[in-house]
Amino acid sequence: MNRTSTRRSFLQSALGSSAVISLGATAPAVFQQAMAADNKAKETVLVVVQLSGGNDGLNTVIPFDDPVYQKDRPKLAIPSTDVLSLADGLGFHPSARGLANLLEDDQLAIVQGIGYPNPNHSHFESMDIWHTCQRKRKGNPRTTGWLGRYLDGASSATGGDPSAVHLGAKKQPLALAADTTRVPSIRSLERFRLQDSGDGDVRSVASSLVQVERDNGDPLLSFIQTSTTAALDASQRVEEVRRDYQTPVEYPDHDLATKLRTVAQLIDAGLKTRVYYLQLDGFDTHSQQAAAHAVLLGRLGGAVEAFIKDVSHHGHGERVLVMAFSEFGRRVKENASEGTDHGAAAPLFLAGSKVRAGLHGQPVSLTDLQDGDVKFHTDFRRVYATVLENWLGVPSQALLGAEHKPLDILSV
Amino acid sequence: MNNLKSLDPKWAWSPYRPTADRPWDQPMAAHLFRRAGFGASLGQLKTAVEQDPLEVVGEMLNPVDLQQTTQSEFAEAVLAGGDPKQLGAWWVYVMLQTPTPLLEKMTLFWHSHFATSADKVTDARAMYAQNALLRAHAIGDFRPLVHGISRDPAMLIYLDSSTNRKAHPNENFARELMELFCLGEGHYSERDVKELARCFTGWELRREKFRFNRYQHDTGEKTVLGKTGRFQEGEVIDHILDQRAAPEFIARKLIAYFIADEPEPSEQLVAPIASRLRESSWNVGDAVQHILQSNLFFSPHAFARKVRSPVDLTIGLLRSLEGSTNATQLAGSLQELGQGLFFPPNVKGWDGGRTWINSSTLLGRANVIGRLVSDPKTRFGGGDLETYFGQLGAESNEQIVDILLSLTVAVPVPDAVKRQLVEVVSRPGTRNARIAEAIHALGTLPEFQIA
Repeated sequence: MNRTSTRRSFLQSALGSSAVISLGATAPAVFQQAMAADNKAKETVLVVVQLSGGNDGLNTVIPFDDPVYQKDRPKLAIPSTDVLSLADGLGFHPSARGLANLLEDDQLAIVQGIGYPNPNHSHFESMDIWHTCQRKRKGNPRTTGWLGRYLDGASSATGGDPSAVHLGAKKQPLALAADTTRVPSIRSLERFRLQDSGDGDVRSVASSLVQVERDNGDPLLSFIQTSTTAALDASQRVEEVRRDYQTPVEYPDHDLATKLRTVAQLIDAGLKTRVYYLQLDGFDTHSQQAAAHAVLLGRLGGAVEAFIKDVSHHGHGERVLVMAFSEFGRRVKENASEGTDHGAAAPLFLAGSKVRAGLHGQPVSLTDLQDGDVKFHTDFRRVYATVLENWLGVPSQALLGAEHKPLDILSV
Repeated sequence: MNNLKSLDPKWAWSPYRPTADRPWDQPMAAHLFRRAGFGASLGQLKTAVEQDPLEVVGEMLNPVDLQQTTQSEFAEAVLAGGDPKQLGAWWVYVMLQTPTPLLEKMTLFWHSHFATSADKVTDARAMYAQNALLRAHAIGDFRPLVHGISRDPAMLIYLDSSTNRKAHPNENFARELMELFCLGEGHYSERDVKELARCFTGWELRREKFRFNRYQHDTGEKTVLGKTGRFQEGEVIDHILDQRAAPEFIARKLIAYFIADEPEPSEQLVAPIASRLRESSWNVGDAVQHILQSNLFFSPHAFARKVRSPVDLTIGLLRSLEGSTNATQLAGSLQELGQGLFFPPNVKGWDGGRTWINSSTLLGRANVIGRLVSDPKTRFGGGDLETYFGQLGAESNEQIVDILLSLTVAVPVPDAVKRQLVEVVSRPGTRNARIAEAIHALGTLPEFQIA
């Protein structure tokens, strides 16, 4: 255990756990200072929430007064009486209550009109562009992502902890693919370990087997060998930090919320991991969109709101930033199946106590369209540049492949 | 480094003739059975090396009685229950029992190509019918398969085409037909997507069956991929398949499936397989046979160049050791490892290759192998592991490990690893449990994850 955890343990045993829970309000100043110094020493954490499938930006941050919106969405338009008012003529989807609450607490920044030139309408290609910051070129496969390239440069600073963690059972996002860093995927802390069968001790046998030197230049085999070593190391670390996590914050009961709770637990356990990556699927709403989209926005808002409350409660609020993005928005006009087809520009969300809360950038125009899609006005790579430079503290140009000017959306 | 770029395509696709440095021996036969199926037992390998390798490949493509291979009675029982999760158990059972593994391997290929998930479709009968469609054309002609899939109820539900009206065409199926099923990204324009969507208006489901609703069909002229016409009754599908990019797209995917995950084959290497597809009027079996019997296939460029999918890993282990097990349990394990049968992750299917591997799946693979071999329901040649290895002629612990490695691992493991495995088998306790533990330990090996 490192020194900071010991200090936390001391605080907990000195005050009792209930006292720690209400620390902000009642703890003696000396303890508050100890706690603050404790967390100051720790580095910032980025939590990426990928909204897979193409989130309908126009039904998330809604231009409810716009006659074009009303006309092009006869079935799907949200009536102005239902929206959660944001600004003149703009409002949140009524199910995005969690996002609205965060905004009210000055913990949410909405960056409008995010996209990139010549938008691609394939889920996979557009997501790859978001992940790698590169367009597809023949004979030039994209093998690393923007976060993976960051990790390769930064991985030594985490003292043995994984520099990034992917939460989930699905394949890893290309954003995390790196030349040398292997990012662990964790589905649940309980299952993230080798189980013994019978009375054998497979863990020690496995560690010893993987350490045997292999002398071959086979890149595939050495990829699997380094991945196996990373998996065994990470599972051992998770085993060490796994304990009953106490929080007064009630998380909603769904997958994204459960994963965010795990992230809060890992952050509080003192893992030096800088990047966490999560996915929320189901935004590809070609048909019968209304009900599905409402559920998804409810989940996103509810989970992120609970998570921000939780990390703030545990004294990590100032060093946690959530970024939620989707590979594209959707067409202005709804289709015949009461859904929407693939579009282009959409809003992106940043949450945490260090965001400059409110709307950023101009609202998108519903009359100045490109092939039926809203046009972007802010390149997503400017958001990445902001996150890399102003949050993770590294120069962004080499990682993004070009210079992109950071946006003034964080107060750091 | 696996350099596919500098290969001479003529040599690569010529039929393999055994030579001194590439003999037709047990390791080579094991390679063929792993790729063209799910591995082979020691007995099968011994028989195969007595035959001509091209003859062995030819037999793999022999026509079969579909009724018999697909265990229709098991399927009917599952369909009566209506739970699509149980369909996974049925298919696991078929993969374990089938006398024609290549047919299942190709059906699995198409399941990932025309990926449709029961998560959204929910109707077990529709999923089963699609699986039967894929199997019927798996090593047959691609053209009727695409026409069939365009009218397949499960696909129409999955891609939101169960209603498709001319006033507001739904672009989902039109886009994926070009991007994922026939041409690949970059071979069509956004305008083509919109025009193609118009061609499929009025294609809908009525009482769970495909129906053409002429009142909702846009009968106007459309321009798709440079050709203008009314495109009635699926004519547009033939037009898409006539594009040069189409056979190249399928050939590339078949080569990756049977030869190597990486790197991508060069255009020159893809061209001969693409021409075969074109010239044989899209006969997939012919292209597959050509790939499987090639010099390239029986070369170091293909040997141990693929990450095992969860199906390859588990079904392969069992088939190599004549194993049988609780199919429901194994279907659940496949889901856990990221390859839930009938539940692909999205319309792009499973990406395969390195994407199978991450910390959770690596720990999970070892855990699944451990559970599989220690489950009393798992039998090897009808008995336990000790008896089975006795039947294979293994007398010492060294021989047990040697035979185990030769049947289940494609690349040689370091001597130090082999010694440790022998040590695991030599520990006190029943020999059966010790062999199971050695296989469990094998499940953690990097070498075990590729084939």
